[in-house]
Amino acid sequence: MKEKSLWKDALGRLIKDKWAFGSLIVVLTYSLIAVLSASGVIAQDWAKEVGASNLAPGSEYWFGTDIFGRDVFTKVLHGTKIAMSVGLMTALIAIPIGVTLGALAGYYGGWVDDFITWLYTTFSSIPNIMLLISITMILGKGIFSVYVALGATSWVTLCRLIRGEVIKHKEREYVQAAGAIGGSHFRKLFIHILPNVTHIIIINTSLQFQFAIKSEVILSYLGLGVQGEPSWGTMIDDAKLELTRGIWWQLAGATFAMFLVVLAFNLLGDALRDSLDPKLKGK
Amino acid sequence: MIKYIIRRLLYLIPVLLGVCFIIFILFNLVAGDPTAVLLGKNATAAQMIELREQLGLNKTLTEQYFDVVKSAFTFNFGHSWSTKQEISQMILRGAYPSLCLTLPAFIVATIFSLIIALVVAFYRGKGIDLFIRILCIAGVSISALAYILFFQYFFAFKFGWFEISGFEYGFPNFIPFVALPGIIFIILSLGPDVRFFRTVILDEIYQDYVRTARAKGLSDLSILLKHVLRNALIPIITYVIIQVPYLILGALLLENFFSIPGLGGITLNALNSSDFPVIKAMAILSSVLYILLSLFTDILYTFADPRVKLK
Amino acid sequence: MKSLVLVVAITFLVFGCSKENSFDEREINLISPEKISGFDPINASDKYSANEAGKVYEGLFEFHPLKRPYELIPNLAESLPVVSLDGLNYTFKLRKGVYFHDSPVFKQNIGRELNAHDVIFSIKRLADPKLNAKGWWILDDRLVGLNEWRIKNSKNEKTNYEEEIEGLKVLDDYTLQIKLNKPYPQFLYALAMPYTFVVAREAVEFYGKEFLNYPVGTGAFVLPKFEQSSMITYFRNPKFREKLYPSEGEEGDDKLGLLADAGKKIPLVDKINVHVMVESQPKWLSFMKAKNDLLEVKDVNIQQSITPDRTLKSDHKEKGIRLIMKPMLDVTYFAFNHDEPIFKNKKLRQAMNLAFDRASYNRLFHENTAFEAQGPIPPGLDGQKKEFKNPYIKYDVELAKKYLAEAGFPGGKGLPTIVVQTRSDTVSRQQVEFFEKCMEKIGINIDIGMNTWPELVNKVTKKQHQMYTMAWGADYPDAENFLGLLYCPNQAPGSNGANYCNPEFDTIFKQATVLQDSPERTDLYEKLNEMIAFDVPWILGFHRTDIYLTQAWLKNFKHMEFNHSQFQYLNVDLEVKKQLLNKF
Repeated sequence: MKEKSLWKDALGRLIKDKWAFGSLIVVLTYSLIAVLSASGVIAQDWAKEVGASNLAPGSEYWFGTDIFGRDVFTKVLHGTKIAMSVGLMTALIAIPIGVTLGALAGYYGGWVDDFITWLYTTFSSIPNIMLLISITMILGKGIFSVYVALGATSWVTLCRLIRGEVIKHKEREYVQAAGAIGGSHFRKLFIHILPNVTHIIIINTSLQFQFAIKSEVILSYLGLGVQGEPSWGTMIDDAKLELTRGIWWQLAGATFAMFLVVLAFNLLGDALRDSLDPKLKGK
Repeated sequence: MIKYIIRRLLYLIPVLLGVCFIIFILFNLVAGDPTAVLLGKNATAAQMIELREQLGLNKTLTEQYFDVVKSAFTFNFGHSWSTKQEISQMILRGAYPSLCLTLPAFIVATIFSLIIALVVAFYRGKGIDLFIRILCIAGVSISALAYILFFQYFFAFKFGWFEISGFEYGFPNFIPFVALPGIIFIILSLGPDVRFFRTVILDEIYQDYVRTARAKGLSDLSILLKHVLRNALIPIITYVIIQVPYLILGALLLENFFSIPGLGGITLNALNSSDFPVIKAMAILSSVLYILLSLFTDILYTFADPRVKLK
Repeated sequence: MKSLVLVVAITFLVFGCSKENSFDEREINLISPEKISGFDPINASDKYSANEAGKVYEGLFEFHPLKRPYELIPNLAESLPVVSLDGLNYTFKLRKGVYFHDSPVFKQNIGRELNAHDVIFSIKRLADPKLNAKGWWILDDRLVGLNEWRIKNSKNEKTNYEEEIEGLKVLDDYTLQIKLNKPYPQFLYALAMPYTFVVAREAVEFYGKEFLNYPVGTGAFVLPKFEQSSMITYFRNPKFREKLYPSEGEEGDDKLGLLADAGKKIPLVDKINVHVMVESQPKWLSFMKAKNDLLEVKDVNIQQSITPDRTLKSDHKEKGIRLIMKPMLDVTYFAFNHDEPIFKNKKLRQAMNLAFDRASYNRLFHENTAFEAQGPIPPGLDGQKKEFKNPYIKYDVELAKKYLAEAGFPGGKGLPTIVVQTRSDTVSRQQVEFFEKCMEKIGINIDIGMNTWPELVNKVTKKQHQMYTMAWGADYPDAENFLGLLYCPNQAPGSNGANYCNPEFDTIFKQATVLQDSPERTDLYEKLNEMIAFDVPWILGFHRTDIYLTQAWLKNFKHMEFNHSQFQYLNVDLEVKKQLLNKF
């Protein structure tokens, strides 16, 4: 019951915050576009030639056309699906691994901590870019590799942060008290400590989400991105050859689409943090 | 204390072994045969067999793993397969431009962010807080590639404020070349830095001791600067220092577009030419650096926060 | 607040720091689009490392900088060699008075005179099994005793350079004799390639593994030490021998001002700066800021400089920029892997070929500057008949559908999805995307496989591909270099990545390769070229066009396929530069 009211409370405050509410709408809209695009309702005809190549934006094609005469706007819509799925899948891979390992390490200490610390130190000490490239080399190119590669490199930060936070909380009075009245380890860790570090997870996830969306661009630049369908990354990558010719609309379209959603995720993350942090309640 | 440092230094060994293991799996087991790439478009089959032998690719896997480990502990990385240059020289030569680009930008970005974070924390919830935060976040919501293409075209080419590309060794010659990529670096760092710093500062603001201090009648500003900042320093320092190894690796995109001959480009070239010794060297060096720096942060922890005990 | 002020101050400091051009020295500024890894000629396998090696090192021969078709002229050699009747014995006379650059490797730091031993040493070095040079293929199984020497030394701890080889003899300090084990009509081309550039033994031994950073050559420019950097600066070789700018060239060179320096001693400039720039945007921007004198434009990007009717844009003209467009000796293609059972089906290959819309491809990716390839041999080389039209080089979707049905796959039914492997850069990706769209029209499904360069090479050498895209540039001006791409014994890991095997083709190819340049050989080449046209072992693409923009003040630049020897002839007109700079 207590949990429920916390979230209800948070939601209430979220709606009151105009920026956060707006961001929520943006994220939901993007999600909707992504779902519609994935289920084939919209943007399925992105590959169709609708006009001459490299038409400037106009009333007919809002974002112009690309080199093959495809509608850039449709490509942007289709790219939304890729971007959102990359963000989501990365988070889904990174959060469970990062939180579980981080919490266990921080709470139990000893050899568990040693092992997990060793694991994430090893992982984080190898430059991300090498891991990314190697993983895509092993799994083959494609969107699945992008998910795994980004997931496998982004759990580390979360793990380290959670571990540090759990160590800090473990020593605090309220946990000591919970221990004194006979709370089990499981109870102490998951009921008492974890809710106190949720904001870390949330901030990190919103960061992770936008990091993943932006990383897709870098991966596309390196030729390791999504294949066979348009993504914002490949569109921005195309632009590096087009901009000096005055073809700016692919870059602008993809950048604008990306800008909105990344901004929204960031703002939403902040707002969620403010409303979810137990310490901030009632202030 | 010294015991702790020694213990942590010894910790380098298992981590390096782990790094070696991952590298070994990736580049000795999984990656393809490099000889065709190394010999160019007219390679003959006989030559490829010879080269395999010369590069030690015919050794048993245990021997190959041992070679990786040996190079990690002796720091003797040998010569690059593709450029035939001595790897330690390549790295020394490349680290300089990378650091010229990233280090000043990193320092400026950190100082900037900290100031901004303090300001927005002080005015938390007010209009200015929201405005600055949104500005910082908006800055980081645009892809680095878009910044590069746009800034280079307008600020360097159209307006002529900066060098378009290139690099010169030596201070202060390098400044005009790293200015524009540095600015992009700063813009991209500002967003995440400010929000992280703001978060940790706010975390501290709501601790009990702040309430006590306030009850004692101290002004908000002096509490913020004297108490809050001091306590918030631990996560801030961790956050900052842990980024340093990545600075040395440089910023791949910026280096490529601004023709800065740094380590980012060297790494990318190595990956694109199957130059495994260089890749291994880069991975090993960055992990050593990483471990040393995290040791450093842990020691700082004790100074900054007596509650943390080193074991 | 203090630091804020500081930061603002720094920001202002860097504003206006953009560097100005200097007129103190006669310097030219060039671009290398790839990182330069070192200066060992035996490994200078790509165009850009060859260009750098060619500024410091020289070979026995070089291509005439102006005459076309390409003509070999003696360089370090005094004259063309005397060849025995059987075409196996070559006697070379060396030019006297050629000196190596001054360097600490020599006595009293003064460069010594080049002699026949240096040439022999450089050739042996190319064959040294310990060095495993990228250029070894040009002499592999060509010279009497050289392969045996290589094999013997691969087992030795150290390569024995003292041992005499029957095929490589010094007759006196300025004369040497080379014996081939079979006719090799392209041999003199091999002696104009960077691989056989002459190095000094002292330098090789003195610097050991660091040799590649200390180029000690005989060329017109010197580079005391090479260091990885974004700019490499070469200085005029003050002791360069009396070498003169040619006084005759191709028709029309006179009008283009290419003979203005005729008879003058080269080099004509004091300094060459080579700027390493990887990305296309900074290259173009810095050329348009007059920071560079010569820009190689990729055909995709040419729109930014020319109007639809193929002339230079007016703002370029005002600045005096000139456009140079010349066909390249190259061919691009989509190769089938003939080890795949489905591609043994000739009708299928022809169907795919017919469905490929070359005209649109040319417009999209080459801005209509490329020429549809009728066969593997590019125009300009013997073997490519001007009037020959390949009957399968046309775009005909209906016919393609018919062929596909005849192949046993009506409407693409029964065909698996075909993966086309390509490089992972933007343009390669778009090109295969285009191919995919073409094949879609006849019902064939294509997937794109994107690869880093090593991955692509690996897939091809290991035969792990169905199709891949490739562009082949000539190593020397001879059709053999192109036809060899389809010669069965060259199949993977050799250059025949399509693994095409046609016994009839192989027999004729073998005959042709031992013939000297002659009408008879040209006939055979033409036959082979047409054979390929009908059998469609690849989906032929294009012969591309080299496009250069040059600044008005850069003199003596003429398009050249093998341009590593060209830089010594360049000149700069500082007066013109001074006048024009304010327009930039």
